[in-house]
Amino acid sequence: MQSSIIGSSAFLRFLKRWGVNLGIGLVVLVTIIWGYIVNDKVTVAVLASTVRQATPLVLGALCGLMGERAGVINIGIEGQMLLSAFIGFLFNVWTGNLLIAVFAAAMTGALLGLFLAFMSVSLRMDQIIGGTVINILALGLTGYFYQAGLVTQGKLQPIALGSLAEIPLIGPVLFNNPPITYTAIVLVLVVHYVLFHTRWGLRTRAVGEHPRAADTLGVNVYLMRYANVIIGGAIAGLAGAFLTLEAVGSFERAMTNGRGFVALAVMIFGRYTPLGAWGAALLFGLASAIQTQLQFFGTFNIPHQFIGMLPYLLTIIVLAGFVGRTHIPAADGEPYEKE
Amino acid sequence: MKKLYFVLAALLVASMVLTACGPAATEAPVPAATEAPEATEAPTEAPTEAPMEIDCTSPDYFCVGLVTDVGEVDDKSFNQSAWEGVLAAQDSGIADEVQYIETKDAKDYAANIQLFAEQGYDAIVTVGYAMGQATAEEAANYPEIYFIAVDQFQAETIDNVSGVIFNEDHSGFLAGALAAQLSESGTIAAVLGTDLVPPVVAFKEGYEAGAKYINPDINLIATYHPGGLDVAFTDPEWGATTTKQAIDQGADVVFGAGGKTGNGALIEAAGNEGVYCIGVDSDQWLSVPEAHPCLVSSAMKLITPAVSQKINEANDGAFVPGNHIGAAALAPYHDFDSVISDEIKAKIEEIAEGLKDGSIKTGYGG
Amino acid sequence: MEDKKSSHLIVRRILAWLAGLWQSLGVPLLAVLLALLIGAIILQISGASPVDAYSALFKGAFGSSKNLGRTLEKATPLIFSGLAVAFAFKAGLFNIGAQGQLLFGALASAFIGFAVKGLPPYIHIPLALFGGAAAGALYAAIPGALKTYTGAHEVITTIMLNYIAINITDYFADGPLKDTSPGNIVARTPAILDSAKIPSIQSIPIGFVLAILIAVGVWWLLWRTTIGFEIRTVGLNPSAARYAGMRVAFTVILTMVLSGFLAGMGGAIETQGVVGRYQPGFNTGLGFDGITIALLGKTHPLGVIPAALLVGAMKAGASQMQFSAGVAKEITDVIQALMLFFVAADMIVRWIFRIRSASEEKVILSGWAQGK
Repeated sequence: MQSSIIGSSAFLRFLKRWGVNLGIGLVVLVTIIWGYIVNDKVTVAVLASTVRQATPLVLGALCGLMGERAGVINIGIEGQMLLSAFIGFLFNVWTGNLLIAVFAAAMTGALLGLFLAFMSVSLRMDQIIGGTVINILALGLTGYFYQAGLVTQGKLQPIALGSLAEIPLIGPVLFNNPPITYTAIVLVLVVHYVLFHTRWGLRTRAVGEHPRAADTLGVNVYLMRYANVIIGGAIAGLAGAFLTLEAVGSFERAMTNGRGFVALAVMIFGRYTPLGAWGAALLFGLASAIQTQLQFFGTFNIPHQFIGMLPYLLTIIVLAGFVGRTHIPAADGEPYEKE
Repeated sequence: MKKLYFVLAALLVASMVLTACGPAATEAPVPAATEAPEATEAPTEAPTEAPMEIDCTSPDYFCVGLVTDVGEVDDKSFNQSAWEGVLAAQDSGIADEVQYIETKDAKDYAANIQLFAEQGYDAIVTVGYAMGQATAEEAANYPEIYFIAVDQFQAETIDNVSGVIFNEDHSGFLAGALAAQLSESGTIAAVLGTDLVPPVVAFKEGYEAGAKYINPDINLIATYHPGGLDVAFTDPEWGATTTKQAIDQGADVVFGAGGKTGNGALIEAAGNEGVYCIGVDSDQWLSVPEAHPCLVSSAMKLITPAVSQKINEANDGAFVPGNHIGAAALAPYHDFDSVISDEIKAKIEEIAEGLKDGSIKTGYGG
Repeated sequence: MEDKKSSHLIVRRILAWLAGLWQSLGVPLLAVLLALLIGAIILQISGASPVDAYSALFKGAFGSSKNLGRTLEKATPLIFSGLAVAFAFKAGLFNIGAQGQLLFGALASAFIGFAVKGLPPYIHIPLALFGGAAAGALYAAIPGALKTYTGAHEVITTIMLNYIAINITDYFADGPLKDTSPGNIVARTPAILDSAKIPSIQSIPIGFVLAILIAVGVWWLLWRTTIGFEIRTVGLNPSAARYAGMRVAFTVILTMVLSGFLAGMGGAIETQGVVGRYQPGFNTGLGFDGITIALLGKTHPLGVIPAALLVGAMKAGASQMQFSAGVAKEITDVIQALMLFFVAADMIVRWIFRIRSASEEKVILSGWAQGK
């Protein structure tokens, strides 16, 4: 009797904590299976597009949340992505070596991360300004130095993971992707592990929640903030590399087109957790892919603008209806000054 | 003050590193295609310094200015095509001085036109349907200047304005007919900029009609970019991922029509075995070399020759106002010349004739 | 003797005043100079002449009364969107959605401008203006209400609402409100009637004068009224505000509504003073520039004015710079970023020029968690 009450209350708590995610997950899963039965080709196409559209968003979100977990707001993800995409592209043009190009893009992101950390940690500048400076600077520099006629030498190709890639539905969607897409998935898990299961993660979160207390306990607040923002920057650099070196294979001015800002939304949506951000990015990607698919079908006789706003509307509805308030690292945005 | 010098030196080094990351603007551009060097090199050379002082206000010199639609003159699309027309006029010795201004804000159309007008330019090329109103108003303010208005339909004739327009639906129709004949799966795709821009709609409607003309049962999947005008033509990754989604569900010919968004579609298609792609506006074999593996042709509107022809007319004093309907046709097949059967080529020829003499209608615009 | 003393006093006072002025204006001025200097270095290295470029830029922005008018015209919507963003910052809210609110303001004022007929200008102009502002306010109420009642973060909702606004306004401009005059195939509304147009006096746009007045009004609201006090308190410390019995939820919604009101009015002035109709693509980026302007103006309503003038001047002069000096316009973005950096990082500027610190630095938005 008593144990069943305890059991049910534990179940309720479980539901309260995970119910929303489970619910959304279940709905999506049923829809996918139904779709697969009705039209397998279209379902695979939509899901593959989902994964692809989610990749730059989740990378950007990882960049954001690493900084914010350590107490540094980063609204410069857009700029970090754009400049990294450009530098990666240039290195590909010059060297023809994709590995070097990806590395250069990640380093560019890290360098901008260093700049952001310098502004917000050392100069104790307002962090919104730091990010905005990076955004405008990236837009200006790439626009000014870009020139037509530069042609890349190939882009990263999909790698099929052996027999995994032959599983119906899941295989072509998850196990036949180019390297940065795989890296993004691995990074989600790695960042999750590091943040929640290592000393480094504990320190990072302590610095983001109670820098004073962390400092008293001997954690180097400045170092933790610098390190996390720089590593985050490198991840945003990968998102830029994804655009020019894996997805498109070429650079155009302003080609990030707001993906850095959507990544910011994805990060908050995912409650500052890597897994949450991944879920949010996939949800957004799915909504975008479905939006495209609805236009492909062309069956609905309504103005396409109303289909076009679907992903954005869905985000708001899910956020307002099911997710609600997010806990934000307490010292997020607060410059820290040693006593 | 020592500190100041130190800081300045540091700044200098920093910005040198910064600029070293990008290629210097003066460096020679890498030629993208060998066939048409003038097509790829030209836009990067900013025509800043004339060898000698040319006074455009003097009647001895013929000066041509170009105001771009929002975007850059090296956009691999209609701004670039129009600018190449101006450069052609310079190369043939008609224009003594040529110059462009890139519009960043649509509200600057008139101001940018005035910049040329006040310097005494003799002909001004304005690019894009959105500039129609500004062109008409400034043409009234400067009756002595010739205006070459690309993509701007003239409902009423203004003496010093010629609207250079194209039957985009015709070349779209040919592209659709080609696509339907090449497709083995029976599914073809179109990845488009935005329907806020009339020529894009014309291309799309023509494409659809052309495909249906060959095969009434063809499955056409098409989508416009869901964003606003400012992003619809500059989102190559959207074009690419949308193309992938279309290919994954069986599309084997992709029509990419929408500036850089469309270019993204072409490059994506190039990475897929057995998929053909068709470009838009100019012969994209020259402007998007990354798409060579799939690019069978392009649905062209020949802006370049039309613009240079109108400049010639203006120079000769034989300027014809009203609407000038430029050529709209398919680009050469290039490397795919041997792949495409003679049957298909003959059919395309036949349709082109039919469109010309009016026996085939695209159904666009009444 | 007496005389000497008093004159001494006056000189001293003037010197003190000058020093104060230098304290408050000197650093931003030097920051702008430093930004221009680095911009010049980049220009030099990339093979352009900084002197030519800057003199053309200056000429294009201030060289004639017409150019000056254009600078003011460019600065006008920037003042509004800057005010909108700065105002929300005061309550600890980050309104990235000024762009969407501005679009709705521009569309609504165009609709009132062409559809309502037979009104004299002194009624029609304010009607369209406030109609636009109200549309912006209504649209901004959505993220405000969502934040209050569901906890949905305004950064996410305003970003998403920007995209939705583009789709909805495009739909209207290409659908129900499309200009049906013969020969038109372009997506745009009909032109507004002359009675709704905001004129210019000489080359000074009336909209600019209005923007200045509104900026002063916002300053007055924030620092001279109870509501302003509540807004600022909520921004600084929401829990303290709640403890003091302030209506935090109400304040959050009100702030968003007023912020949207400002953005919407900016859009309306663009329609009535510059564009003359609503057309997609004619209001691009103004809302996003608002973030830059607000930050450059240190989120002070009056600081927004010089910030908007500076950026407006660069926008107005850029064409001349490209025309005369052959320099790509994107260099002005680089300079703007550097200006923002040096204005914010006044530690660096003070260090370089050895100016002592005047006051403690304040953080604009301490965390996303504000306004709970």
